Amino acid sequence: MATLLRGVLRPLRAFPSRPRPAADVPLRATSHGAGLLYPEHIPTSPLQKALLAAGSAGMALYDPYRHDMVAVLGETTGCRTLKVLRDRMRRDPEGAQILQERPRISLSTLDLGKLRSLPEGSLGREYLRFLDVNRVSPDTRAPTRFVDDEELAYVIQRYREVHDMLHTLLGMPTNILGEIVVKWFEAVQTGLPMCILGALFGPIQLSAQSLQALVSKLIPWAVQNARRAPCVLNLYYERRWEQPLKALRQELSITEPPVHIQGPA
Amino acid sequence: MAAPRSWVLWSFCCRGRSRLLPGCRLPGLRSSWPRGPLGARPLSQEKRATGTHFGFETVSEEEKGGKVYQVFESVAKKYDVMNDMMSLGIHRVWKDLLLWKMRPFPGTQLLDVAGGTGDIAFRFLNYVQAQHQRKEKRQLRAQQNLSWEEIAKKYQNEEDSLGGSHVMVCDINKEMLKIGKQKARAQGYKAGLAWVLGDAEELPFDDDKFDVYTIAFGIRNVTHIDRALQEAHRVLKPGGRFLCLEFSQVNNPLVSRLYDVYSFQVIPVLGEVIAGDWKSYQYLVESIRQFPSQEEFKEMIEDAGFQKVTYENLTSGIVAIHSGFKL
Repeated sequence: MATLLRGVLRPLRAFPSRPRPAADVPLRATSHGAGLLYPEHIPTSPLQKALLAAGSAGMALYDPYRHDMVAVLGETTGCRTLKVLRDRMRRDPEGAQILQERPRISLSTLDLGKLRSLPEGSLGREYLRFLDVNRVSPDTRAPTRFVDDEELAYVIQRYREVHDMLHTLLGMPTNILGEIVVKWFEAVQTGLPMCILGALFGPIQLSAQSLQALVSKLIPWAVQNARRAPCVLNLYYERRWEQPLKALRQELSITEPPVHIQGPA
Repeated sequence: MAAPRSWVLWSFCCRGRSRLLPGCRLPGLRSSWPRGPLGARPLSQEKRATGTHFGFETVSEEEKGGKVYQVFESVAKKYDVMNDMMSLGIHRVWKDLLLWKMRPFPGTQLLDVAGGTGDIAFRFLNYVQAQHQRKEKRQLRAQQNLSWEEIAKKYQNEEDSLGGSHVMVCDINKEMLKIGKQKARAQGYKAGLAWVLGDAEELPFDDDKFDVYTIAFGIRNVTHIDRALQEAHRVLKPGGRFLCLEFSQVNNPLVSRLYDVYSFQVIPVLGEVIAGDWKSYQYLVESIRQFPSQEEFKEMIEDAGFQKVTYENLTSGIVAIHSGFKL
């Protein structure tokens, strides 16, 4: 009876499905609508970036298959370095063009047929061979999310897409040894903290034999080449598919690797 | 309230809230009432276009169900790990407290809605089994002079170790149910357990079926909480109990600040690092803020027809257990 009366006397209850005002939650991240600089952007506070950096570093070491953690580490720690890289790109004419036109390397933008028809020894053909032999695809790169500047977000995306190019230029396969060599090259070239951390901590999982070859020959070779070569982000690779790989290597002063590393079977 | 409710007065109250309650009908016409998903609510046509909240976003009501489904589909595999990480294991204590409040006895029929991975169901089974065993021991002690034939018979019978208790786990999400079933198999729960795919707003059960209805950390994800409460009222037997364990408003200002910082700064990061999913955990903490306060929710429960509604705050109000009876 009491409930009936209450039902009658309390008409049109406004069921609280209205969104709460923002005032009582001062620290929430603006993750919807306004405040997004690019489609995948997730704005983060400095505390969140610090926690993400620490967490992703730990998780990347714990589970090496979490490539997304390496990417997150790069985004959260690379703020200052990305600005330096961006300025370097701006100063170079080819780099400035890349920043302007924002080309992307993905399966949808690459003309695989045309690349396959290119002569042996050209950049395009060798790149395709690299993708086939190592069974990788340019589309497996995670999109940038935690960089709070839209141009810098592109710079780091470009760096990730150029990573495969570096493998081709240096002649390194995608096994752990090859990745570490490329990381050393990138660390010296770009100075990104993620590359430096990867270069220093990656070898932890290597066997003694590989470690020996790495330290005695591969690392010095990679570092030497990285210091000699101009910034690799300044190359408009999409316009250089026909260029013979040897010529490109000569242009960048990159020598042949001292030890041939067997790729994945 | 007198058992034969005045149908006219009740429907008058319902129309005053501009929607038709599918739950109230004359007992004899139960089977003939049309029950389409959106069919039986002609008066709410104009409300179709209204928005609701999905965390801090505004989405249409149809969208919300789908989006919530996607969230739980993607978090299902890491759900338990993340619960432990985010609450530092305290969620286990909360769920244990819910069971202690419930104090089920052997023979209880429990409906656990949004019970996906089975935490409440397994605790219930453990509890009633322990109760049943205690009862058996008491009985045996009282009858020390059993003959050897009777003792042998006791060992031979495959006695129902649960004493007739049964738990029905209902969830709208297939992935969560899948994980729950896997856990049940791994931990050896077989008897007295059933898994049903169903929507809290339209339960696939008859009226007056269950002794206890629980919903733990699920009701804030329901698009129409009032409908879920009405369904709860419908499927409970007279005398049945409604129990809801849910995140609520913190009453202590210092704890509230720390909780906010932890929720918004740390939890999405944990979600990204452990589960690779920032957005689902962002939704989680936002949906907690959107849920009504303890008092408001108590009033909603009373509106659905429950009586003797009370709530108990746990951990300074981070979590609250609401309880009501269908009398």
